[in-house]
Amino acid sequence: MLAARASAARAASRIARTRNFATVVDSAGVKVAAADNGEATSAVTFIVKAGSRFESKPGVAHALKNYAFKSTDKRSSLGTVREAELYGGVLSSSLSREHLAITAEFLRGDEAFFVDVLSSYLTSTKFTRYELTELVGPTCEAETSAALSNPATHAVELAHALAFRNGLGNSIFATPGHHLTADDVRAYAQSVFGSGNVAVLGTGIDPAALEKLLEKSLGKFAAAASPASSTSKYFGGETRVDAHGAPETVFIGFGTSGAPSAELAVLAAHLDPTPSVKWSKSTSPIAAGIPEGSSVQAVYLPYSDASLFGLLVQGSTTAAVKEAGKAAVAALQAAGNLKGEELQKAIAKAKFTAASAVDGRDGLISSLGPKILSGTSASLSEAVSSLEKVDASAFSKASASLLKTKPTFVAVGDVKSLPYADELGL
Amino acid sequence: MTIVGPLGPSLAPLIRRNRTLYQWFKPVSDWYANVAGHRKVGLKYDDLLVEERPDVERALARLTPREEYDRAFRFKRASQCSVLHDNLPKDQWLKPEEVCNSSQTSTLLPAHTGPPQDVRYLKPLVEEVEKEDLERRKWDTIAVERRR
Repeated sequence: MLAARASAARAASRIARTRNFATVVDSAGVKVAAADNGEATSAVTFIVKAGSRFESKPGVAHALKNYAFKSTDKRSSLGTVREAELYGGVLSSSLSREHLAITAEFLRGDEAFFVDVLSSYLTSTKFTRYELTELVGPTCEAETSAALSNPATHAVELAHALAFRNGLGNSIFATPGHHLTADDVRAYAQSVFGSGNVAVLGTGIDPAALEKLLEKSLGKFAAAASPASSTSKYFGGETRVDAHGAPETVFIGFGTSGAPSAELAVLAAHLDPTPSVKWSKSTSPIAAGIPEGSSVQAVYLPYSDASLFGLLVQGSTTAAVKEAGKAAVAALQAAGNLKGEELQKAIAKAKFTAASAVDGRDGLISSLGPKILSGTSASLSEAVSSLEKVDASAFSKASASLLKTKPTFVAVGDVKSLPYADELGL
Repeated sequence: MTIVGPLGPSLAPLIRRNRTLYQWFKPVSDWYANVAGHRKVGLKYDDLLVEERPDVERALARLTPREEYDRAFRFKRASQCSVLHDNLPKDQWLKPEEVCNSSQTSTLLPAHTGPPQDVRYLKPLVEEVEKEDLERRKWDTIAVERRR
């Protein structure tokens, strides 16, 4: 245990030393953070505060995400694709509830072209009507139906709508058939694309070179006010949706408003029954109680001013889901009096999750992006050290206040026989 | 690419730029447009574009729902005229001003007092599609050289 803790501390200090993104500078009115750790490829990500939370009309953020790399004043959508292929780069865009991220990954030396592609999306996308009907709309529809055919994603989407209603409750997927025009998307883009609302994150690229390129390509970038969104409030509730041909799914969630706390991350690490060694059984209190053919996942989704914590129970039969759900709820209710070695184990696991998330580029974007955007110090040692500070009393207080809130209960599958919230002991 | 017909190359912009030439040609072109007779059955000039081409088909798919509806209406009215071997009543003939104004969608609305210059609702879309096709051909046949 002691050895494990020492190595974790070592890892934390190593992260702080080599992966320091704290050099957030303003370039063309945009916050830029870059680090060159000698990677073979470079990646540049533009993070915009333009998630579904801020959208003016349902689905407009999703459409905006899919308008990435479509025709701009500089090049057509075909030109963007073909030229990126010739350079051997990968362009991608992703949407979360709070942020829109567009990323270019490319070989070293090609940064001039790819930074220009990314910044022309922000400055001069045409938002043509025919691209919405020919390319963007069908993509949105396909993404929505693919995502919602997965009962876990569907349950988490419904849980957000129940838990936060507006703002964070907005779905990140455009509803098929919802009328959206290119002018709606353009208006939304104009309201969110502006300096002060955009951050740039580079890996494998020299910060000075990136700043110079940004100044050149983003030269006349208008300022934009931060999009309006009311402070998130947690409500909770219960819903049941019929679905067939997919695992029976139940989501049991609790939410908090306010900045995300380290205690909930520790709670998730404590409850998560994913074993550290393949084909073994985890020592999580849930792992022992769930029947064969069912699974439980701890879901912890922190946002800037609220967080959703939950347990996603899935199984092939509703009876198995009911049994696993009972075990999960019992473990969650008993988690409050966690102390000593058990707590240290959970903290170490949470620390590892936080630290290993930034090893990949996706994790780096989602964990560092918001920090750079808000201007707080963009270092990881802080996230790790806040986890180290969690003690037994703060933990039990946090989990007790979490359980006091009204649960968010979502059942997706055979609603006739899937359990209700009170049947699981909530 | 077409050589002749409404989608082919045209000297009209050149003539329109030159004041004298424009004054000479204007009566002739007005007479020709009238004799062609499409306005008498309520059709716009762009309704005469050859539809059975992939690029024009794509351009037609890009019309707004209102434009599409009005186009279908004009065709129905014109084919009814053809069945009757007759023109529309004279007050329903398209006036040149109306032919020019793409936002003016119904012939029953009062005539628009815009410049009588031939603005066409479909041709810009066809040209855009053609540009895209040319660009695709360019990228399909591009020769890439490695710069040392």
